[in-house]
Amino acid sequence: MDVLTNRTLFVFLLTAIGLIALPHSSHLPGPLVIFFFVMLIWRFMGIWYPRWLPGKILLYGLTFTGLALLYQQHLGWFGRDPGTSLFMTALSLKLMEIKQQRDIYLIAYLAFIVAASQFLYEQSMFMAVYIVFVCSVLLAAMIMINGRQANIKASLKKAMAILMQVLPLTLIIFVFFPRVEAPRWLLFEDPNRAMTGLKDSMEPGSISDLGLSDELAFRVKFTGNIPPVASLYWRGPVFSYTDGKRWMQGRHQGTGMKPSVPEFNGDAYRYTLLMEPQDMPWVYALDMPAGFPGELFQNSDYQMLTRKEPDKRNEYQLTSLLQYNTGLLQEDERVRNTQLPGAVSPKIRHLITALQSGTQLTEQLVGNIMRHFREEGFSYTLRPPLMETNPIETFLFETRTGFCSHYAAAFVYLMRAAKVPARVVTGYQGGTLNEVGGFLEIRQADAHAWAEVWIKDRGWVRYDPTAAVAPERIDQTSYFQQQFGDELAQLVPRRNLQGSFEWLKTTRELWRSLDYSWQRWVINYHSANQLTFLASLGIAGLNKMIYWLIAGIAVFTALLSGYLLRQRQKPKDKALQLYARFCKKMTARGLVIRAGEGPQDFAGRINLVFPELAGPVDRITGLFIRYRYGKAPTKEDLSLLKEAISELRIKKGYSAKAKSRFNF
Amino acid sequence: MNALSLKDRFRLSRFFRGEKPVDGPIELNQRRIFILPSAPGFGFVILIFLLLLISFVYNNNLAYLLTFLLASIFFVTILHSYQSLSGLVLQQGQSAPVFAGEDAVFEVLIYNQTATARTQVQLSLENTLSFDIAAFSNCQARLQSRTSRRGWHHANTITCFSYYPLGLFRAWSPLRFNLKTLVYPKPWQYPLPLPQTLSGAAVSGITKRGVDDFAGVQTYYPGASIKSIHWKAFAKQQGLLVKQYSGTQGSELWLDYDETSGSVEERLSQLCRWVLDAEQQGLIYGLIIPGIRLSPDHGKTHQLNCLEALALF
Repeated sequence: MDVLTNRTLFVFLLTAIGLIALPHSSHLPGPLVIFFFVMLIWRFMGIWYPRWLPGKILLYGLTFTGLALLYQQHLGWFGRDPGTSLFMTALSLKLMEIKQQRDIYLIAYLAFIVAASQFLYEQSMFMAVYIVFVCSVLLAAMIMINGRQANIKASLKKAMAILMQVLPLTLIIFVFFPRVEAPRWLLFEDPNRAMTGLKDSMEPGSISDLGLSDELAFRVKFTGNIPPVASLYWRGPVFSYTDGKRWMQGRHQGTGMKPSVPEFNGDAYRYTLLMEPQDMPWVYALDMPAGFPGELFQNSDYQMLTRKEPDKRNEYQLTSLLQYNTGLLQEDERVRNTQLPGAVSPKIRHLITALQSGTQLTEQLVGNIMRHFREEGFSYTLRPPLMETNPIETFLFETRTGFCSHYAAAFVYLMRAAKVPARVVTGYQGGTLNEVGGFLEIRQADAHAWAEVWIKDRGWVRYDPTAAVAPERIDQTSYFQQQFGDELAQLVPRRNLQGSFEWLKTTRELWRSLDYSWQRWVINYHSANQLTFLASLGIAGLNKMIYWLIAGIAVFTALLSGYLLRQRQKPKDKALQLYARFCKKMTARGLVIRAGEGPQDFAGRINLVFPELAGPVDRITGLFIRYRYGKAPTKEDLSLLKEAISELRIKKGYSAKAKSRFNF
Repeated sequence: MNALSLKDRFRLSRFFRGEKPVDGPIELNQRRIFILPSAPGFGFVILIFLLLLISFVYNNNLAYLLTFLLASIFFVTILHSYQSLSGLVLQQGQSAPVFAGEDAVFEVLIYNQTATARTQVQLSLENTLSFDIAAFSNCQARLQSRTSRRGWHHANTITCFSYYPLGLFRAWSPLRFNLKTLVYPKPWQYPLPLPQTLSGAAVSGITKRGVDDFAGVQTYYPGASIKSIHWKAFAKQQGLLVKQYSGTQGSELWLDYDETSGSVEERLSQLCRWVLDAEQQGLIYGLIIPGIRLSPDHGKTHQLNCLEALALF
């Protein structure tokens, strides 16, 4: 059947394309989506009414309409949204013009691109499964083209078989294919791309998904020494005001109040900071910045802000010192930084009294709180339970698990309850050293929150309560594994399950863990994670990665070709197999059965050469003939035959005799 | 299958023309099957690179995953392409003589003695045929080849190929069998009266073998016209007899090369016409061409002998 008139194929192909484009309708501009589906439905009609398909002139008109729509909806041709729209429109226009088998291939390939672009919008597990399913339908359509079969089931089956065989190889490549950060010139800035970054407020109890994104926040290149990792605190927004749940910047923001210039001590670190595009004009300087260019300014909380457009990639030269003294505290600052929402609850009051007892210095109180976190069963997790009401009390007395912002918020709350000025500072901590470029990469996953306490004669002093429970979070040694290890613990079902609805909770937790693993291991398997993961398996360095990749592909190929090309033959006749063994024995002695020679003739020839073997040979021949050609073959005959053949022994030397007597 | 020398192994003609012609069956194996991407296959490679670029620019792991999936499919399809031909056994079949200008038909048998069913195995000479061959079954292909010259016509390279399953690769095997067929000269296409003069003797007269005067019967000989068989005698169980009619003395027709005109090919063409006409009219005719003299006779065998002599002249 001709491919171009195969209706089943067309229905199949168009359905696959419709399925691929369907999820795009939620995020592409309406007119383009409508244009696409109108064209698709038109093409569907064309299967049964070919005369309805557009002619050449109308096709030009449609192309022009498509281009005009693209132009009207987007400024520019590059980037995620314009690119996706462009491919969608091209696909819908190509659908109208199927003249050769080649055109069908082009359509299938465009559909694959549209399917891939779906992942730029949504990366859930569900979407991945959906896209793979739709791709298998496309594959089946390709098989239908080449198999000339209108049989959907057979084509789908073959497509599924190929997909199943291919999965291990895909995984091998996925794990070992080196992920390299795209060079700067390749990253066209997309104005529509949602940018991630720190928020201008913090609500520890409501966040359940923290900064897992591996997206780059900024890069830092030091001229000279790099400070120790544990002191790399990149200062972002400072939160002084709280309503008990949410922490915000004070209302003094933007009043242009100048901070008092701190007194600096120790080594100065000079560095270049390359900020990625972001929404906020925040520049994350190393705590505490001393020298900065004119386009930057500092607010009263010592946070750096830029006057440049933050949605472009910007570069700044800065100098920071790690030791500083911010000096005296203004009265209004003191008021702001001891603010509490309403009265402190008796439970917290009781705790703070206990922690405060016998302390004179603020540092001792800080030490007591830190020890409380360390010794009273607090733990670090990236997936804390939601604490919707009274988050601080819930965290301190019930859940005792959370990430940096929980600890920072609780710490500051306790300090303020003890009438000590304290505030939450957010920003980033640490960074990954890019050994090739010699610079630090700070990613969204490095987002952090810590606390500052005002101490007499020392000014604002930084304390990181998270370090009390998860020092490795600060050391950055095995951050990746630590995160995952934590989740592994969650995968194990809890013992103290109660009530009849617990299985639901377990299922939900299991799903969350699965989703988390998906995020961690698939979506965020970028360069840094890949290097860490493979290094933990002993595969360090690009060269080794490529060796493993090649070795993996080789092993896979060997196994699959063994499976595919193994000779599956018709189950052979057992008697024939046995007789072949007999013939082999004879061949070893120089007697070869001739083509077309029957067993009896062969036996006759053997008897001429080896008269002493006449007995066993006749027996074997007789049994063989009886079993294979007889009316009622019995299993006994077969076993007798087997026995007779294995008992057949030909002494050496006969062979020479055979050759001397006959010329074979 | 005999081993190939290293030099032969890397001969470029192996890829296109195939190895030396053989008589026996050919099993398609790793030595015979070649695989290269087809045009859609190269398009698929471009697609993979485009997707890789998208994944790279957006640093999107799921896009990477899809890219790797497609790349793996591309890679694995090589094995499937190989599987679509591997293990098939092809053997040459019969071929019948034709006149120049007609299509020679070569028969090729395809045996599938494996448990794998084959889809869209294609065989091409000058026409292309495709077959779906079930496991443990076989099929017969009749390949055509246009002839232009008389003489032995050898089959060119027969290509067995398949694009199955995805059309991304073409697996092919160029095969050369000792397949040849005899091509007779093209019969003269204009009306051409049979020669009136009888060669040898200067006797003119009856050119037709007598059909009226029954002369007796003779035992059947191969090539005797079916019309001349004495059916009545056969029905009486007297054996297969052939009726003989008395012809006039010297009624034998000699088809002589020297009586034709034109180039060698034209002369042979005219002779071919005469042979066909004479046989059709039931004459007894002989053939004289330089170096060959076939004494007068009639019947199918005689005609074939004459035509063969003309073909191979």
